[in-house]
Amino acid sequence: MALKNELSKEEFVAIFENSKSKSFAEENFINLAANNLKKYNLPTKADEEWKHTSIRKILQHKYFIGENLDLDKNQVNLFTIPGLNAYRLVFINGFYSKQFSDEILNNKGLIIKNIADAKKSNPELINKYFENTDISSENFFTSVNTAFSFDGSFISIPNNLALDKPIHIINFSDGNNKKTISQYRNLIIAGKNSNVQIVNSFHSLTVNYTLTNISTEIILEENANLNFNIFQGEGDDAFQINSTKVNQEKNSNFSSHTITLCGSIVRNDLKIEHKAENCETNLFGLYLPDREQHFDNNIFINHAKPHGTSNQIYKGIIDNKASAVFLGKVFVGKGAQKTIADQTNRNILLTQYAKVNSKPQLEIYADDVSCSHGSTTGQIDKEALFYLQSRGINRRRAEVLLLGAFISDVIDAIKVEPLKIFVNILVNNRLNGEKVDGQCAMVSGCPGCDNIE
Amino acid sequence: MAKTLISIKNLKASIEGKKILKGINLEIKEGEVHAIMGPNGSGKSTLASVLAGREIYEVTNGSVTFQGKDMLSMSPEERSREGMFLAFQYPVEIPGVSITNFMKAAVEQHREHKGLEQLTPSEFLKMMQEKKDLVEIEAKLANRAVNTGFSGGEKKKNEVFQMAMLEPKFAVLDETDSGLDIDALRIVANGVNKLKNKENAFLVITHYQRLLDYIVPDVVHVLYNGKIVKTGGKELALELEEKGYDWIKKEND
Repeated sequence: MALKNELSKEEFVAIFENSKSKSFAEENFINLAANNLKKYNLPTKADEEWKHTSIRKILQHKYFIGENLDLDKNQVNLFTIPGLNAYRLVFINGFYSKQFSDEILNNKGLIIKNIADAKKSNPELINKYFENTDISSENFFTSVNTAFSFDGSFISIPNNLALDKPIHIINFSDGNNKKTISQYRNLIIAGKNSNVQIVNSFHSLTVNYTLTNISTEIILEENANLNFNIFQGEGDDAFQINSTKVNQEKNSNFSSHTITLCGSIVRNDLKIEHKAENCETNLFGLYLPDREQHFDNNIFINHAKPHGTSNQIYKGIIDNKASAVFLGKVFVGKGAQKTIADQTNRNILLTQYAKVNSKPQLEIYADDVSCSHGSTTGQIDKEALFYLQSRGINRRRAEVLLLGAFISDVIDAIKVEPLKIFVNILVNNRLNGEKVDGQCAMVSGCPGCDNIE
Repeated sequence: MAKTLISIKNLKASIEGKKILKGINLEIKEGEVHAIMGPNGSGKSTLASVLAGREIYEVTNGSVTFQGKDMLSMSPEERSREGMFLAFQYPVEIPGVSITNFMKAAVEQHREHKGLEQLTPSEFLKMMQEKKDLVEIEAKLANRAVNTGFSGGEKKKNEVFQMAMLEPKFAVLDETDSGLDIDALRIVANGVNKLKNKENAFLVITHYQRLLDYIVPDVVHVLYNGKIVKTGGKELALELEEKGYDWIKKEND
């Protein structure tokens, strides 16, 4: 039942259909996505995977396709990660900013550039890998993404290359007095025996209602090692739907960090498929919603082949009337003997209004596996708090120490050192109730502030 | 004449409506070591908790005056900064917080309270080293998360180390000896003896006389059923060791 001012599916799709910019994808994929769109509706709480996340708030705005705005150097510099020496790809409202990007296309096969241009320069690679993960058939949003994305990042690491520095994809959204919708379609290929670290960060330049819809496909060829970091720091009125699908080939190692510090409604889908044996997957997540923010992580790992290992550690601190969702499913197929899988989700609620829906799930069809999962949601440990206070540390500082300690393992596991330091500072500032200036247009929430007398 | 450090008058406390302390009177002067002994369930640990300011206990009557100030109206952190220290019977494990960071925060807040200038990082580390040497704890302990994965002995040594760092005027040792082997017991007791001086005082809560061979008390009290039922010199501890607590129970039931 659509509310009077709520976008219908048709109206939502029409925003893109009426736009001048067209998808870069091949006709057959556009047609496939268009067919999916006939099939899929906008998700509602009746859908099992969206049970705890309502997108109605997202649909209450009339959006326009974002504009290709001029960026200036200061704006870009404001959002770089201090000390991170990286190959940079910069986008604004779905458009590529060549001026601020370090485009690479070298004779050894290393490609770091925007996908629309890569489609022209390297069609054979795009044709080989695009839609390998079948991402457009996931849901309404990934279908819209395939049908209408006009750009995104393309990264191809050739066989046997350990890239000398990380890649940083910066995605800006800027409402610029208009409610804006932006899409990114990313394709990342790590060749055999390659090694690469990638950071994808999201920021708002101005505060307005914006919706960013990202679909990212990641392919790890045999024995590749890829570390992927999503840093979400958009403004307080920014909505984000972020879907990532990963295919892992034999002996490959995929690790990710999903750090969600601000945004209004943020939904992250992360689906991993072990296409061959002996793959390793380590997924970490950190989310700190406050006020009425809602952050949702939905994870699916398909252990389809033997000797795979996967590990998930997701932690959240939820303040005020904010809410979070953790839905993690590990599927171990019949042939996936010797699988080792572990799932942990832990949450601290700072107020009586804060909410978490946590559901770690295991579905196992093999008989020789070692799988475990656990979920805890609670308050700050009162015994530990008293212990710290009894040494003269005031309650506020003791709480910050304990909350910092609670999430320290997730932060410590960040592999990109400058990102780790940066997140540590931002989180500490946040726990101390300070504004996270320059990172999110409005974030200033302070987990813990409300329950301090 | 030594000054009275802490004066407890008719202290009554309960937990969830259950009366535990039923009128404690106790006065401890600077330079003194008092021991409180008693059978299980007599209220020994409750007394320690109430003195440290644990919220789950409700003080229903009485007063505690610490260096002339009303201690019961202070928060746990204020009590600490004023010079109160509780060595926990069960030190809490705090994964993710290193002992160094923990002590840094504590020392900073103590110095701020006293109006002292903050230590530089190197001064602080030097102080850590001195205190570690004093209480004979392994240097590597300080780099670990607070009590996390510590053995029973390590936890208790860590309590004495914290005491050395904060230099309290009045320290309560809540069954610090329980579960310790003789070597750990000796190290803990030596630490306490080194920290003892003419201006501070200790209240040693214990179930066993053994600890009092190492930390020699000036006064021994017997707590039973929420009240101090007997007070004597150090020989009282020996008598209790010999006869057990049954005669105390008989006299008072």
